Amino acid sequence: MTLPAREGAGVPGGAGHVADSLSPAFESLFRTEYARVVGIAHRVLADQAEAEDVAQDVFVSFYRSHPANVPYAPAWLHAAAAHAALNALRGRDRRSRREAAQALPLDAAAVTDDPAEVVAASETRDEVRAVLARLPERSAAMLALRYAGLSYAEIAAALDIRASSVGTLLRRAEDAFRRELQ
Amino acid sequence: MNDTDIARALGTTDPSVNTDDALVRFRARVQSDGIAEVPPVARRRISSRWLQGLAAAAGVVIVASALTLSGVAGSILQIFEPKSVVGVPVSQSDLNYLSQACSGLNLEECMGAYGTFVWTTPPQPKEFQTRGQASADAGFAVQTPTSLPSSVTGNPRYGVINRSSATFTFSADSTRQAAARQNRTAPPLPADIDGSKLFITGGPAAVQIWGAPAGATGATGAYPDVPTLIVGQAKAPTISSDGVTVEELRSYLLSQPGISPQLAAAIRAIGDPSSTLPVPVPAELAISHPVTVQGVQGLYIGDNTGIASAVIWQKDGMMFEVIGSFTESQALSIANSMR
Repeated sequence: MTLPAREGAGVPGGAGHVADSLSPAFESLFRTEYARVVGIAHRVLADQAEAEDVAQDVFVSFYRSHPANVPYAPAWLHAAAAHAALNALRGRDRRSRREAAQALPLDAAAVTDDPAEVVAASETRDEVRAVLARLPERSAAMLALRYAGLSYAEIAAALDIRASSVGTLLRRAEDAFRRELQ
Repeated sequence: MNDTDIARALGTTDPSVNTDDALVRFRARVQSDGIAEVPPVARRRISSRWLQGLAAAAGVVIVASALTLSGVAGSILQIFEPKSVVGVPVSQSDLNYLSQACSGLNLEECMGAYGTFVWTTPPQPKEFQTRGQASADAGFAVQTPTSLPSSVTGNPRYGVINRSSATFTFSADSTRQAAARQNRTAPPLPADIDGSKLFITGGPAAVQIWGAPAGATGATGAYPDVPTLIVGQAKAPTISSDGVTVEELRSYLLSQPGISPQLAAAIRAIGDPSSTLPVPVPAELAISHPVTVQGVQGLYIGDNTGIASAVIWQKDGMMFEVIGSFTESQALSIANSMR
């Protein structure tokens, strides 16, 4: 599967016609897959607003380059969600490093009564995201897809690998994740 | 750290999303940015003539393979056991003739135009959840593709058709009466064919379907009601006779008034009709040519528009077929990955 490059907004779409409304096929695809795509991105980013931004970008990429009723649509969207979220995560890490260098305070978004828990949860979350950003692309994508609830067959379709290989590759990804986190 | 810990680290709850709001936001974005949608692919309905033809081709293999001879007398002469398959172009006029002869009829009724068709052990399809269960019921190792295109997702459903058996008895009276009902005159059934019997053998057959109808496990495609891949495997069918030969049957078939010269030529061109399974290919809608599959010669059938294709081959006494919406190279890749 050819994975989409992450595209920004504002790029007019090729020679096609801008319709007043979406095709029924696309609307059906969007309604069926939106929550799943957000869920995959959320596993990577741990931030719903950012995950929904990624999902919008993914659907725009698909909308401008593929017919909505192709059989591979769900698999394409799942793969694109994982890779686009990982791209966003790495971009976020680069921003964080710049901000840290400029001695700006980190934004602790979690809400709890215990300041110690806020710090601990935030540190764990940041550490997990940093590990995901360091892992090889396929391993990180595999973890995001699996822990977003995709079946082995769906992971195989999304990452264009044999279903019989998913178990082995997933175990390796989990082992790598544990090692990096320790 | 165990799997549960990883799940907790990556977040165990799905965010609550408002899809309606997201759709409004998406629609506004593509409108304001002038982004055009790639139009959906025009899909042919499953009832298109090509798919009917493809279904007929598949039916020839599966139905024939599901028929099994039982209790054959010692005097029986085996007249057909396929060692290879060949495409036979069937024109629209041939289809019209055949559909006129069998319009609205099931297999028994259609065959009844030429004699008496009796199931001695009728086919009874059963569905299974796993390949192991299907293999156990079929009595052979059900092979499955080890490499699938990304368009094929989810788990397959498994169906097995048991060993069945049927007997067909030619009848000159039935042939005359059927022709009279259609206001035509059929060539007289030769005396040595009248009353002779065919014993049809084959099966069991196993079928795997991906992206299958409602309730299919793991099917997540946008169109889960249309199978994305069908894989069939069956013990090669055999037909035995108590006297009539393949040459006599071929001559009689070619004497039918509705058979086009092209179909007649294709049937005559089959080198060894006793070991070649003819697969009807709609001449105006599809192409077919020999291909090498799993080291043996098979048959590729492709829709002229590239929407659907099929590969059929025979190896080690088994018939195989792969059908789906693929390019020729994809279909061959699936076929060659069967293990």
